[in-house]
Amino acid sequence: MSFSVGLSTYLLVGAMLFSLGLYGIFAKKNVIAVLMSIELMLNAVNLNFVAFNRFLGNESVLHGFVTAVFIIVLAAAEVAVGLALVISIYRTRKSTSVDDFNWLKW
Amino acid sequence: MFKEMHDLFQWAWLIPFLPFLSFLLIALVTRRSKGLSAAVSILAILSALGLAIAIGVGVIQSWNGEEFVGREAVAAANWLNIGGLKIDFGTIVDPLSAMMLFVVTLVASMVQIYSLGYMHGDRGWSRYYAYQSLFAASMLGLVISTNLLQLFIFWELVGLCSYLLIGFWYFKVSAREAAKKAFITTRVGDFGLLLGILFLYNKFGTLDFAALSNAMNTNFQDFALIGGLSYLTVMAILVFIGPIGKSGQFPLHVWLPDAMEGPTPVSALIHAATMVVAGVYLVARIYFLFEHASPAALQFVAGLGAFTAIFAATIAIAQDDIKRILAYSTLSQLGYMMFALGVGSLTASMFHLMTHAFFKALMFLGAGSVIHALHEKQNIWDMGGLWKKMPITGWTFFIGVLAISGVPPFAGFWSKDEILAAALHNGHPVIYAVGLFTAFLTAFYMSRLFFVAFTGPSKPENHPHESPWTMTLPLIILGVLSVVGGLVALPEHNFAFYVHAGELEHEAMDWALAGISVVAGLIGIGLAYTIYVRKAIAAESIVAKFPGIYRLLKNKYYVDEFYLWLIHHIMDGLAKVLYWIDLYIVDGIINGLALFTRGSARTLRRTQTGQLQTYALVFFFAVVVIYLVFAIGEGQLAALNPLAMLGGVK
Amino acid sequence: MQSFDFVALTPEIATAALTLILLAIGMLIPAGARRGMQPLTVFGLLGILGYILYDLFYAKMGPAFQGMYFHDQFADFFKILFLAAALLVVLFSGAYIQKLPAYRGEFYALLVAATLGMMILAGAGDLLTLYVGLELMTISFCILVCYLPNNGGSCEAGLKYLVLGAAASAILLYGISLIYGLTGSTQLAQIASRLGDNLSPSLILATVFLLAGFGFKISLVPFHMWAPDIYEGAPTPVTAYLAMASKAAAFAALIRVYLVTLESQSFAQAGVALLLILAALTMIVGNLMAIPQTNIKRMMAFSSVAQAGYLLVGVIAESNAGVKGVLFYAMIYVFANAGVFAVIAHVEPAQDSDEIKDYAGLARRSPLAAAVLTVSVLSMAGIPPLAGFVGKFYLFSAVMSTGYSWIAFVGFVMSMVSVYYYLSIVRVMYLGEGEGLPEIPVYGAAKFTMLFAMLITVFLGIYPTPLAQMALTAAKSLVR
Repeated sequence: MSFSVGLSTYLLVGAMLFSLGLYGIFAKKNVIAVLMSIELMLNAVNLNFVAFNRFLGNESVLHGFVTAVFIIVLAAAEVAVGLALVISIYRTRKSTSVDDFNWLKW
Repeated sequence: MFKEMHDLFQWAWLIPFLPFLSFLLIALVTRRSKGLSAAVSILAILSALGLAIAIGVGVIQSWNGEEFVGREAVAAANWLNIGGLKIDFGTIVDPLSAMMLFVVTLVASMVQIYSLGYMHGDRGWSRYYAYQSLFAASMLGLVISTNLLQLFIFWELVGLCSYLLIGFWYFKVSAREAAKKAFITTRVGDFGLLLGILFLYNKFGTLDFAALSNAMNTNFQDFALIGGLSYLTVMAILVFIGPIGKSGQFPLHVWLPDAMEGPTPVSALIHAATMVVAGVYLVARIYFLFEHASPAALQFVAGLGAFTAIFAATIAIAQDDIKRILAYSTLSQLGYMMFALGVGSLTASMFHLMTHAFFKALMFLGAGSVIHALHEKQNIWDMGGLWKKMPITGWTFFIGVLAISGVPPFAGFWSKDEILAAALHNGHPVIYAVGLFTAFLTAFYMSRLFFVAFTGPSKPENHPHESPWTMTLPLIILGVLSVVGGLVALPEHNFAFYVHAGELEHEAMDWALAGISVVAGLIGIGLAYTIYVRKAIAAESIVAKFPGIYRLLKNKYYVDEFYLWLIHHIMDGLAKVLYWIDLYIVDGIINGLALFTRGSARTLRRTQTGQLQTYALVFFFAVVVIYLVFAIGEGQLAALNPLAMLGGVK
Repeated sequence: MQSFDFVALTPEIATAALTLILLAIGMLIPAGARRGMQPLTVFGLLGILGYILYDLFYAKMGPAFQGMYFHDQFADFFKILFLAAALLVVLFSGAYIQKLPAYRGEFYALLVAATLGMMILAGAGDLLTLYVGLELMTISFCILVCYLPNNGGSCEAGLKYLVLGAAASAILLYGISLIYGLTGSTQLAQIASRLGDNLSPSLILATVFLLAGFGFKISLVPFHMWAPDIYEGAPTPVTAYLAMASKAAAFAALIRVYLVTLESQSFAQAGVALLLILAALTMIVGNLMAIPQTNIKRMMAFSSVAQAGYLLVGVIAESNAGVKGVLFYAMIYVFANAGVFAVIAHVEPAQDSDEIKDYAGLARRSPLAAAVLTVSVLSMAGIPPLAGFVGKFYLFSAVMSTGYSWIAFVGFVMSMVSVYYYLSIVRVMYLGEGEGLPEIPVYGAAKFTMLFAMLITVFLGIYPTPLAQMALTAAKSLVR
């Protein structure tokens, strides 16, 4: 049984990671876990970019790699702000469960 | 300063702009300071007057009887471009507008200076000058409009100013009522005008005067529309409904006498010299439409004008309020201008418009001076012997009377004669006769007013005194113009050279006709003298002989009562039916719809749960649905295979 | 790389510098001296605005950095919009910010940073650049939204915005990665040429993902769920800036990517039908949901959802006239919103409430504020002769000439519905009693902002030609 690890394998892994992250956003009650799920989704995108760059063409063109680096940086910034927000909201509500964040509605 | 007149004409937009600027200044900055407000306003209108005179001189110098010698006089800026609708905001300078600019700025300046004395101590002083400036701006804007829509906007603006100024003393119930009446009555006419404008736009795709005229001159085939009237005739009549309202033609004349509730200078400016002639000006401006329409259109104008002339003149005989007499006289003279247009003499009409502006403004301001001196008394029978106490007012008023009666060489003589001559020469003997009789009536009632109020013994309870110079100066200036204003008919390039429609025809004075009308005027004056000064015939005995006619005239032919009856019986009945329909059917539907909308909104609102994860779920669910709909709609059925989503990648 | 490229970036560089300067000053000077930061920000923004105006009329246009960045009238138009919006917000929020308990130093720096993000978004010629701009804007906004510490609502709004915004960014990025995989490039120009008229499931997936990413920012139904919560919870000036500028920025990106680069994909037959349905849904849901609202900020959120629907109609028209309509409407929407939110930001601290019922008698208590609010909402409802009417006219006439009259009809009916809830505020203000509510004098910069916004709204309604001309030039400068 020959099994070659090609582009579609990476893409499939990426799609699965993305879906996992999505599931986390829908299902996780702890807001920190939700933030981690978002990280999963962004990493799925990174995987896509890197795989495309590796398999599609000219190795000297580094668009995909560079994009991935940018995404990592921006994701870090986002999480930093996110965690700060979590701390701030925990101070007033003594809770990190997304179910409790429903003062604003209707 | 200006090498070419062309340069000067380009600055014509300043004429309405200056008063508008003054309006803004007064409204926003100087409204707390009375002196400053008046100064700003008067300065602006005087500058506009100076510019108008300069432009008038420029027009006279560079006009060859048909067009400007080598100079373009229309300037326009693109204002609106919505869809296919392209509307310019521009200025048109030609003898017609130049004359109007001069007349309007002149009378407005006189009235504003006069108001310094008349409105002295009024607590609405700044408001008054703000309105005056706004009115001047709107009226001047109307005059230099290059297209019907621009004209209509200013047309409505002057109507608004008229409303504001009639109701200036808003604490008086009668003033409020009169303002409303004026606004609503003229709105009836405006509706016709607006319809006409819309239809014309629909047909020609332009509202520009020059372009419209051009379109009608070249290959426009008129066609029958309704009841044997051609399309252009119907358009002409629709447009003419606007002037019927604005210029107080029968049957929409009822607002003008009531408009005398406003301050007297306002009556002089708006309801005698300027705004009410806007209708005449409009007809003159689109005279080409009437020329292209079938003769019925012009006959309609002529007939209605002549009827209004005599109708209002007969009412004026039986009135006792000095301002109301003048108001009916204005209606009558407006009728004169209209029928002059109707019989085909644009020149005569515009000429009369100008001279009338001088002497009617003069008489209104004179009346204001009298009212001011007698502390708001307006009944002429409460006056008497004023000539001696108020010599300047008396003399200038006398000039006005002679001018309107058509006594040579005063201004009214020339213009009135030209109108009558035009009526006879263009084959309208009936209208000529009506005009002649009206001339007699006019002389009679104006002399009656003069003799009763100014001569005879003075009333002991009155202590009149001459008005301050701010009020007499405008009287003197307008008096001089009422004397010499008609002489422009005489020189080689007479009035017709500048303002005419169609071929320029040089008509010599018809001295025979002139003689007849002078005689008619003199008989009128003589009759009034006999009755009211010599008392050879007792006025009471005439009244006693014809009590019915007197009551009819005194009550203005019961037109107001008829309208009231109409409103009470017909309109109210109709309104009740419509109200029922509105209440139970229309409102029912609307309320039902509103209820339905609100109900669905309340339900929809609950979807906004405040739960972050619900929002995320909706978001991604929507993405999936949109993707599927998109892909299936494009026939990409492979999209249903999850692996194929990525398989398309090469 | 030529020096010309950096000239094209001048406004962005200046804005970045202004951000850093404000940040440094905010940290260095003592709290009592921070009052001067408002005028400093105003002058800084005014300077940049002046430069862009000069740039718009006189500079040499063209792509910079080998197509990674666009320097054209379209971008300049949007930059003017963002800067005008930022200026108005800074002007009317001075008093509001002063009253906050703490941390007010960075407010202006963050606001300018968000502006920088939008400017990059409007000029981006590369999907990566675009993403960086988008994130700069989003992250700055996250912090701004939760700028009321110890206020549960504000923090909750910030967190919701962050999580949902990040999820939307993720899906946008996934779309970008697919496009990268299909074309081997992230540059808009290259993508357009390499894709051609090709259509495949993966391309449709990428198109839809991109639409979702932008749709989130412009609060397109059904991606709009976040908007009301965030609008309600955020400090009023931030809500204002979100409504005025972030929506416009996302539209700039949407037009560049969705309408220009991916045109033959996104405007395939089913794509247009989808867009039409989404636009109709957005107008209907936004306007209907606004009706039962009792909080004015929440109501304005739904109103802004509806406005996104009107704007999308202009995009669907797929023509210069349509884009012109979008640009024109986005610009006048800035001024209408400035009027509304200046009043809200002024009334809110005085009576500690955003409830519509507490606006009772505002016409008596603060005549100017009531007048400005009235004119602004009437403009949004599209009542002539205010600017909103002209804007809607441009949008709907553009789409009608493409042949989709029914969407214009929906827009017309929904505008009528919107009059209902807009007028309900007016009714409360002019007919309500307002017993026991305070007098609210208006003064200073807030007064100026209100008057200015109202004057512009009226002026552009009466004489829209100059702005319309500018918008048309900008629309034509888009590379197709």
